Amino acid sequence: MLPKYTLPALAALGFAFGVFSVIRGNQPIPIAQPVAEPANSPFPSFIAGAGIVEAKSQNISVGTPLSGIIQQVTVKVGDKIKAGDILFRIDDREALAELGVRKANLAKAKAAVGEAEASVNDTRNMLELIEAVTDRRAISKEDLDRRRNAHTIAKARLESARAQVLQNEAELAATQTTLDRLVVHAPVAGEVLQVNIRPGEFAPASAGNTPLMVLGNLDQLHIRVDIDENDAWRFRKEGRAVAYLRGNRNFKTDLKLVWVEPYVIPKRSLTGDSTERVDTRVLQALYSFDRASMPAYVGQQMDVFIEAPDASATLPSMPKPGTAETRS
Amino acid sequence: MNHIALKMLMGDRGKYLGIIMGLTFASLIMTQQPAIFVGLMSRSFSFISDLGLPDIWVMDPKVQFIDDVKPLQDTKLYRVRGVAGVKWAMPLYKGLLKARMADGTFQTCNVIGLDDATLIGGPPVMLEGKLEDLRRSDGVIVDIDGAIDKLAKPSKIKGGKPEPLKIGDTLELNDKRAIVVGIAKTTKTFQSQPVIYTTYSRAVRFAPRERKMLSFVLVKAMPGENIPLLTRRITESTGLAAYTQQEFKDLTWGYFMKNTGIPINFGISVTLGFIVGAAIAGQTFYNFTLENLRQFGVLKAMGTSNWTLLRMILLQAILVGLIGYGLGVGLTALFGYAMRNTIMAFKFPWQLLVFSGFGVTLICVFAALISIRKVIKLEPAIVFKG
Amino acid sequence: MNGQSTAAVRCKSVVKTYDTGGDKVVALGGIDLEIHMGELMMLVGPSGCGKTTLISVIAGILDQDSGSCEVFGEDMLHMRSNQKLKFRARNIGFVFQAYNLLPSLNAVENVSVPLIINGVKRQTAEYRAAKVLEQVGLGARGKSLPSQLSGGQQQRVAIARALVHDPKLIVCDEPTSALDHETGHTVMELLKDVALHDDRALVIVTHDSRIFGFADRIARMDDGHIDKVVDSSDKL
Repeated sequence: MLPKYTLPALAALGFAFGVFSVIRGNQPIPIAQPVAEPANSPFPSFIAGAGIVEAKSQNISVGTPLSGIIQQVTVKVGDKIKAGDILFRIDDREALAELGVRKANLAKAKAAVGEAEASVNDTRNMLELIEAVTDRRAISKEDLDRRRNAHTIAKARLESARAQVLQNEAELAATQTTLDRLVVHAPVAGEVLQVNIRPGEFAPASAGNTPLMVLGNLDQLHIRVDIDENDAWRFRKEGRAVAYLRGNRNFKTDLKLVWVEPYVIPKRSLTGDSTERVDTRVLQALYSFDRASMPAYVGQQMDVFIEAPDASATLPSMPKPGTAETRS
Repeated sequence: MNHIALKMLMGDRGKYLGIIMGLTFASLIMTQQPAIFVGLMSRSFSFISDLGLPDIWVMDPKVQFIDDVKPLQDTKLYRVRGVAGVKWAMPLYKGLLKARMADGTFQTCNVIGLDDATLIGGPPVMLEGKLEDLRRSDGVIVDIDGAIDKLAKPSKIKGGKPEPLKIGDTLELNDKRAIVVGIAKTTKTFQSQPVIYTTYSRAVRFAPRERKMLSFVLVKAMPGENIPLLTRRITESTGLAAYTQQEFKDLTWGYFMKNTGIPINFGISVTLGFIVGAAIAGQTFYNFTLENLRQFGVLKAMGTSNWTLLRMILLQAILVGLIGYGLGVGLTALFGYAMRNTIMAFKFPWQLLVFSGFGVTLICVFAALISIRKVIKLEPAIVFKG
Repeated sequence: MNGQSTAAVRCKSVVKTYDTGGDKVVALGGIDLEIHMGELMMLVGPSGCGKTTLISVIAGILDQDSGSCEVFGEDMLHMRSNQKLKFRARNIGFVFQAYNLLPSLNAVENVSVPLIINGVKRQTAEYRAAKVLEQVGLGARGKSLPSQLSGGQQQRVAIARALVHDPKLIVCDEPTSALDHETGHTVMELLKDVALHDDRALVIVTHDSRIFGFADRIARMDDGHIDKVVDSSDKL
């Protein structure tokens, strides 16, 4: 039958198995390590914000003064351009046709001036002829008046014809201007960052969602940092600031404050989504940084830390939020 | 005398086995039922345990438990980041989204959005693929249980077994395309829904449009930072609730304890197990003593002291207690081992060993006490009566 | 040979009454008895005459109400319970009518129990027990459980148990009543031959008249009194 040690042995075995499954079943769950180490602030007390890289000139969204079909795009993305370089042309056939009409009109008006001048000469000769007759009885008073009036009218006609020429010249210039406006030039020197038009597309003169072309001066880049309005009071212009590249915190750069947008604006989502979701307002500060210190591209997001006084340590005369006020 | 006590106990095989069976049963019930209970309850916060990296969870102050997501404004992330003592703070999206399967059925999934750059908060164990693969466009990582079961593709043959989801398969999340780039192992959650990991911005794109999308902010404290103090500081300066990982677990656990019938149900079965075990073991042990009363009388007449007899009975009680306890614990562990790959919730922390040990001790002490009382009051003169 | 001078047991006007729900039953009504060393004393009498009560008092299991009962010059009534237990364990051997062997222990283990109670190590105790078992003629059955032994054999094991720690007084309660005549005779011979010697007294309670012949003296009891004590040589 059952040897006397069977049950105690089984029990010891059972307990050992229990302990084993306790140990095995309660091993700590492995911790998933981050793919990239997150950036962290080098300052003990700071404001964190999302920054976006933009060109120093800010990013210029080029528009067109006149709507029309694109005829030619003369630059590519990445082209370095000087101020005044042609960016693109809009279909100018209508304006050219009008130019022809205007030129013909001018020529016609100029011809009309010659005609009027001839008419003035003719009438003056006729008038001088009759005025040379000394015997007043030989000529009728009526004939003299008629010839005098005809000369006056001819002079007025000449003035009118001359005015017509001036008008046609002005009209020609206007058409020429229109023609010039159909060619869009670079307003500043810089780089073409984005081209959203191709020949044959319609370029509206109104402000659209997508700019026709984006220009910027990439010689120096700026970082525009959004600071939550709730943290804005802690922002100090003299505070040091550091930006980290997302995805690799080894790329960091010191920032120099350029200016602070004086107007607090509704947050345009810098964190990815194009549409407005959040009804918070942000203070925007612009910082410059040394381009050589990190491979940053315009439009890229950064994690920015700005040195700021501790939330609880500033303005000792004011009650600490959440303690003195809520108690008592 | 100990030898004699043990011989006496084991000599009566029927009773010996009866006592041990009673105690084994009691110990089994008192270990296995709480193990299921603890397993079930720990699923309520398994998501928090799985996410071991952050020290602190920041959320809306009205959040009651992990699945009770009350989204925050995106800028709150930066406010939390700006609190002194915070090493880093990362966004986490957590929401239930409907996945449409190849055969047109819908399955609600737990979608987790991780910070795009660091992918902090990823699954603890990757079975296939890498976490970095989430950076591929439309990439998602699916947990293995979901991939095998709820999100499995219907079989090509009619009535065949569904095929598990593999890397490269596509899913439809809220009418948007998602590609499986990895399979992960996660701890089962309370609702046992499939878990889908993706990046934060992608999760926001998958999710229906809402004004606020940020579910949680995960915070790591600076080394050496006093974490409870930091949680208070975060709460003070942002007005959000900040919990340490343990606090958040406790919050979730407490919610389930208070708002579900689970603790009562298991409490009752554990109590019943204790009572039945105590009744069987106590009764049999007492019977055993009664039956051996004459033998105790003989020993007493021959000059054995009450103290020695008491020690003998205690020894007997301890032995059956240990054996019953060991067998019960062993059977529980066996049960857990057998059920390890099923949907069954089972968790065996060391506290349960102590708990059932305490329960068995209580039963044995109770059984020994009533027996000892009988033996001490015994008049040895009975041995002269035929 | 007969140690008249040394009294193993000396009882003087021992009184014992039982309280059974208000009625007082007098079990012993003033017993005077002396048992000498080297003597086999039999207590005989009808059922309920108080023989069992008397040996219980002698063995220190019951306390008398009045009178004195000295065993080897000491009255256990005045001992503390621990001393009493030790005294009993050392000096008194018991043989019971129902053998009262522990059923889960084999013969050797059963015999070794009194030694173990006296604090002898188990190995030594079992070694000595086996020797005593040989003396009672059961050397070969040491490993047998009581249930595997016949009544006579069990009683012999019980006698070995009463002898093993070499007590000075052996108290036997109806040692033969459960046995047939022949076996009873063997058991009594064994008691007389092996157990009895100059340095030991035997008290046997019995009403089995067939074994009266083994007694040195017989005390007849009735109703709590000793009617008379006769020498067996006198014959009744």
